[in-house]
Amino acid sequence: SGGTGALAQWVLVELQGEVQPRQSGDLAGSLLGDLHYTCEGIPVLIVGHHILYGKVVQLEKPFAVLVKQGGAPQPSSAGPHGHYTVTALIKTKLLFKTRPKPIITHVPKKV
Amino acid sequence: AAMRSRAEVDATLQTAKLNPAELLPAVHCLSFGPQAGGGECCLLQLEPGLCAELEAGRSLVIRGEKDEHAVLCSKDKTYDVKIADTSNMLLFVPGCKTPEELNADPASCNIIHSQIAGFSKNYWELRRCRPKLKKLRKLLMEDPYEGPDSQKDQTSTFSKYTTEDLLSLIQASEEEILHQLQVIDACKIEGYWRILDFDYEMKLLSHVTQLIDSESWPLSKVPLCACLEELGSLEPREMIEHILLSYGRKYFDAGEVFFEMLEDKICRAIAQMLLQNAVKFNLSEFEEVWQQSVPEGMTTRLDQLQGLALVDKSSRPETIFLLKVEDLPEDNQERFNSLFGIREKWTEVDITPYIQDLCAEKQTVGALLTKYARSSMLNGVKVFNSRRPIS
Repeated sequence: SGGTGALAQWVLVELQGEVQPRQSGDLAGSLLGDLHYTCEGIPVLIVGHHILYGKVVQLEKPFAVLVKQGGAPQPSSAGPHGHYTVTALIKTKLLFKTRPKPIITHVPKKV
Repeated sequence: AAMRSRAEVDATLQTAKLNPAELLPAVHCLSFGPQAGGGECCLLQLEPGLCAELEAGRSLVIRGEKDEHAVLCSKDKTYDVKIADTSNMLLFVPGCKTPEELNADPASCNIIHSQIAGFSKNYWELRRCRPKLKKLRKLLMEDPYEGPDSQKDQTSTFSKYTTEDLLSLIQASEEEILHQLQVIDACKIEGYWRILDFDYEMKLLSHVTQLIDSESWPLSKVPLCACLEELGSLEPREMIEHILLSYGRKYFDAGEVFFEMLEDKICRAIAQMLLQNAVKFNLSEFEEVWQQSVPEGMTTRLDQLQGLALVDKSSRPETIFLLKVEDLPEDNQERFNSLFGIREKWTEVDITPYIQDLCAEKQTVGALLTKYARSSMLNGVKVFNSRRPIS
């Protein structure tokens, strides 16, 4: 359902391939990278040793982010059954489609 | 994890050989939130209009039992739900600003620590579909209402359905369900939606038509009060009013309620009553009996029976038999298979009443025929037959 008050607006970040944690263990809490924008508004994402250049896209068909209600996940193979709440709307995405440019480093500068 | 500092961000920029002068001052440090890997969040792609509905605070509901394909319902529309895979990773990030937003707010924070709420390789896609309403009639036909004198209701073990029950069982939006209940002349008895048993319905109708006849009321001006008074001893008042609402158009005149009786609907119901007693009838005999059976002042016409009965012009003599569109399958392909099983070749005029309800928004009968049938000429007339051999 919708909620009382305005729905939050989130942003979608679209990346090629998989995202894997640097350390073993799950993703929660780990860093992905730094997101900058050039003065012209081009998004630049630094992930690990890669630089990704992307573009800001206004979605023709916005997305709603649904969160499943209830405790234990239902073993429904047929697909999206159950109760859901709309948490946020997404009208914009940052699309990173270009090949990542690797960052060649020698010695990382000590801070 | 420790939050990154400005110094660390600048060091990374330097290592990456990016010139800070070419970048906006603000940076988003993206990390994965605590729930990110949980898979509890998913993405739903919104069709036009749905975004505005959600922003207005209205709900969307997923309906469907385990053995049914899920549908999504807004207040008044129904959509099929399919899962679409992308080859890319989609991350959903709350509080992430676009360049426009950053430029519009020069005082915006230099480092924005954004937590990725979730990610997915797929999303749900919607496609507007016809509401799946056949089940509604099926549920209500489990236990048709036969009147207050019926023994059945007391001993009945069948489920009875409230509005809430129907909303949870039928794959359609609330408005579509309520509209269909009206179309099929369902009524609420003791809080449950009921369909009248056809014989009981005809009994009620004949009470009314006989009264109209004996009182010599014009068919266009039947007074509610008098009906309730005269017939109230025979049948419950709610049932008398219900039959008038089903077979008449209600209006007010000088503060009183009257009904303009619906000629086509009454003639059609009486035809059904006659036709259901045999497999088929001699057409001309049927037409004679039918005209004699309808109220004085009403005229029967075969076009009143569209979607109810079919005339066989190829038999000698011509015959007519009952074929109700609501008894046919709901799925497009199954509907056409069923129709071609009944008759090999159909003219467009004959088949239209039996496929009209399959048309999606903005789809024509012609488009359906092009898709599901093959046309040919027979004695100078265009006919349609199955695309595949019928076993």
